[in-house]
Parts: sequence; structure tokens; C-alpha cells
Amino acid sequence: MSDKDTLTLSDITGQAEVLTSETINDSVKSEKFKLIISQFAVKLKSTVLAGIGVLVFIGFWSLLSIYTKDALPGPLATFTVLKEMLSDPFYDYGPNDKGIGLQLFNSIKTVLFGFLLGSLIAIPIGILMGASNICKQIFYPIVQLLKPVSPLAWFPIGLVVFKDTGMATIFIVFITSLWSTLINTSFGVASIPQDHKNVAKAFGFSKMRYLTKILIPYSLPHIITGLRLSISVAWLVIVAGEMLSGGAGIGFFVWDSWNALSLEKVISAIIIIGIVGLLFDKLFTFIESKVAYKA
Amino acid sequence: MSYLEIKNLEISFPTPKGKYVAVRDINLSIQKGEIISIIGHSGCGKSTIMNAIGGMLTPTGGTVELANQKIKGPGPDRGIVFQNYSLLPWLTVEENIFQAVDSVMNCSKKEKHEIVIQNLKMVNLFEHKDKLPGQLSGGMKQRVAIARAFAINPGVLLLDEPFGALDALTKGSMQLEVLKLWNLNNREKTIVMITHDIGEALFLSDRIVVLNNGPASTIREIVEVNLPRPRNKIEIVKMPEYIALRDRLLHLLTDKFSIEDMGMVYKS
Repeated sequence: MSDKDTLTLSDITGQAEVLTSETINDSVKSEKFKLIISQFAVKLKSTVLAGIGVLVFIGFWSLLSIYTKDALPGPLATFTVLKEMLSDPFYDYGPNDKGIGLQLFNSIKTVLFGFLLGSLIAIPIGILMGASNICKQIFYPIVQLLKPVSPLAWFPIGLVVFKDTGMATIFIVFITSLWSTLINTSFGVASIPQDHKNVAKAFGFSKMRYLTKILIPYSLPHIITGLRLSISVAWLVIVAGEMLSGGAGIGFFVWDSWNALSLEKVISAIIIIGIVGLLFDKLFTFIESKVAYKA
Repeated sequence: MSYLEIKNLEISFPTPKGKYVAVRDINLSIQKGEIISIIGHSGCGKSTIMNAIGGMLTPTGGTVELANQKIKGPGPDRGIVFQNYSLLPWLTVEENIFQAVDSVMNCSKKEKHEIVIQNLKMVNLFEHKDKLPGQLSGGMKQRVAIARAFAINPGVLLLDEPFGALDALTKGSMQLEVLKLWNLNNREKTIVMITHDIGEALFLSDRIVVLNNGPASTIREIVEVNLPRPRNKIEIVKMPEYIALRDRLLHLLTDKFSIEDMGMVYKS
């Protein structure tokens, strides 16, 4: 009797197991499916909404174009020119006639170079300002004084010092890149919690260990935010800078196209400038998310 | 001469309104291997005394001596466990301990890693060594902090309200954990602990230092806890000695407050 009992019991359990595993599999599958569908729906919704925004913008643009009797080229005319520009972006017919790709490449090179130099100066000074009150008192007044100055005002100084328009452009990008990085870095370093400092003190961390294991990891998200702000302003400034310096770059391209009365090219360049700026921002947002830590 | 000697300790802080005396006239002799609890109300200077022993702040009067050496700053002879764990959130559990060991100990990298592993195993966190502190529960974080303090093999362990932020059940197992580590080290480690919890103090300590209320607080009384070791948490609470000690501590810590409470009742 007991034998029979056991047998039935195991039979039932076996069946139950099969049933549950199947149902679980099914429910997991349908859960996953639902998740994918809902994610897709969210993406679709935001794409549609963004599309509506673009359409409204293009509508206004068309109206403005009609209102100015085509003095401002409409979207269609512009996109035809943009397509043409992008079909051969790297041509080079001498110093005043280069493809948009080459011009863009030139500007990005200038921005990155100036930005890199600026960051190399701004991060260490920012760390010093954040870590030491004396350094803060030395540097902060100068920062406050120079930060609100338009970077373009530095252009003549760059010209005098370097006697070269290219170098002067790099110089104004360099100046521009300093402030946000400097201020964010010093803020990050100054806000290191006492807890972390206590760990360093209690376990006798050397200066180097404190720098690499506490100071930099803690302030890195702040530093990256500073860099992100700096590069966006640098990208703003490069266009104006190259309009002044002339010769090369996307800013020069805008100015040159205006002089040639090709507003289609000007608007195309504006679109390209916007996209590159957006990509810079996305890149640094991505780095930010990589260096962030959970407290 | 005792192992840890606090003589006429006074600690004051300059404030805009003048000198603020946190603690004064603290005299305490602690033997090697003793477990001492410091108990008192919030703001009575418990942490201040602890920080003076830890070398985190310099006394304005008197001295703290460890093995006949005046304490001048933090050192590897004292391991500190902070109330809020103080782990570095960007380092893994293993790295958190390793950085402390690497900073303090003079031996090869391999030996240092072995020390870390051994201490992680002691607090049963070896499987979690690659996790970040953010992925751990409060009790686990505090075990990492305790392992870190033990790993540098200090003569004195300073526990600043180590279990204050933990729930009652976790707290109980953490107290056992500390006693286990103390026993594993042949009861040679001196432990100074700050607590708010009379039960915890009685369960762990050889002596309990009761402080007066601040400012300028002093030692009110030092209560000897002569309960036999090893102590069983369930058994000792039934002992008449335990009950007498608990009543004494309750009296020392709460007499003033109950009168104020009654006053409140009558007023309303």
C-alpha cells in the first residue's frame, strides 16, 4: 500500500514539474515578448514625436521662404544643395574651394586640439583649486574675471602672440575650453565627502594613492560633465572664430558661402554644425554614464 | 603600565563664540585584549574621544598613549570601523580591503592579496569579493569595513557605532561576528567601541565607560562587566548580575530624562 502511495505521489510530482516548467517557459517567453513590444512602442512614440517637431520646423521654414520670396531658400532647394555637397565632400580645388568634409575635418581638428590643451591645463588647476583653499583664493578671482569674456575678444591677442590665424583660432578654443572644466573639476574635488577622506587618513594613504583611488574616481563624473560643457562651447566658438580667421574650417565655409550669396550652403552648413555638436554631446554623455558609480 | 592610556584628555574646538570644550578630564587605562564600550547620549563626545585615540584629531590637553608611545596621528596600530561603513563605492569589496592593506603593510603583493582573501573568508564574504559596495546590504558593507580594519592587523580596533545603522537581527549576528574575530585572534586585540545600545555593550564588553552629557563631558562611571565568557546572548540576560548591571546602566543613562518626561505630561 505504501509502495503504491509513493508511486502515485512521484507520478503526480513529475507531472506537476513538467507542467510548471512549461508554464514558466511560456510565461517567460511572453514576458520577454511584451517587454520588446513595449520598448519598441516607446521608441516608436519618441521617433514619431521628434518627426512631428521636425515637420513643424520645416513648415515654418517653408513659410518664411515663401514670405521672403525665396530670398531665404526653402527646404527643398537646400536639401538639393546639401545632397550635392555631401556627394563629394573631400574635393580640393585650392585654398578657397574645398569640400565640406575637408572643412569640417579642419574645424574638428582645431577644436579637439584647443580643447585638449585647455583640458590639460584646466583639470590640474581645477584639482588644485578644489583641494586647497589657498589655491582657490589665488585662482578664483582670475577665473571669475576672465570667464564672462567672449572668447572672440582673445583673438587679437592670439594673433599678436602667435602671428598665425590658425594658431590664434586654436588659442581661442583653448581659452573657451578652460572655464567649465576648471569650475566643475574644482567643485567635484571640493565636494569629496569627509568619509572618504577619513578612510585615507585612517589607513595612511599616500598622496598618490589618495589621488588615484579617491580624488580622481570621486571627481571624474564632475570632470567629464565639465569637459562636455567645454566642448559644446568650443564648438560654438569655432564657427565664429573661423569667420574671423578665414582660410579654413566650417566657419570660414559659412562666411565664404554667404559672400558667394549661396544661402543654401549656409543653411546646409548650419545643419551639419548642429549634427556634429550633437554627436560631441552624445559622446561625452556616454563617457559620463561609463564613469558614474553607485554610492 | 597599561596598553592604551588616556591621561587628562581634553578636547576643545574654537568656535566664533569662543572655545567649545567637548570632553575634559578623561582618564582611562585599557589593558591589552580588553573590550571597552563607551556609552552616552548623542553629542556627549563619544566620537571625539574615539577620534583622539584614532589620531584623527589632536588633543588640546592631556595625552593618549599606545604601548607607551604618544599618539600623534593615525597609524597602522589602530584599525577604525566607521559608523557609515566608509567604503569607496568605485572599488570592489576586495579592492577596498586591498588598498588599506597595500597602504599599511610591508610585504609582497602576493602576501597582501593572501591577507585580503583570508580576511574576506573570515567574514564570509569571499564569494562577494568582486561586487561593488552599492550591491551589498548594510550588514555586508559593515562586515567589509570590519574585515578591512582587521586586515591591517592592528593592536587596537576602534568601532564607532558600528552597528547603529543596522536592523536588530543583523546587529545581533554582527556582534557575534566581532566576538568570533576577537576569539580567532586569541583575544589579543583591544577593542574600543562606541554604542547607544546597553544590551550590546553588556554582551560584548569587559568594561563600560558611561559619559556625562555634553558639553565638557567627563566620565560619569566605569561599569565592570564580570559576566563569564563565552557569553550566550540568551543565557546571560537571565543572570541576576546581568539584570543588576543593566539596571545600573539604565539608571545612569535615563534618570534625568524620565523626570523631564513626567513634567511634559503634567504640563499638557
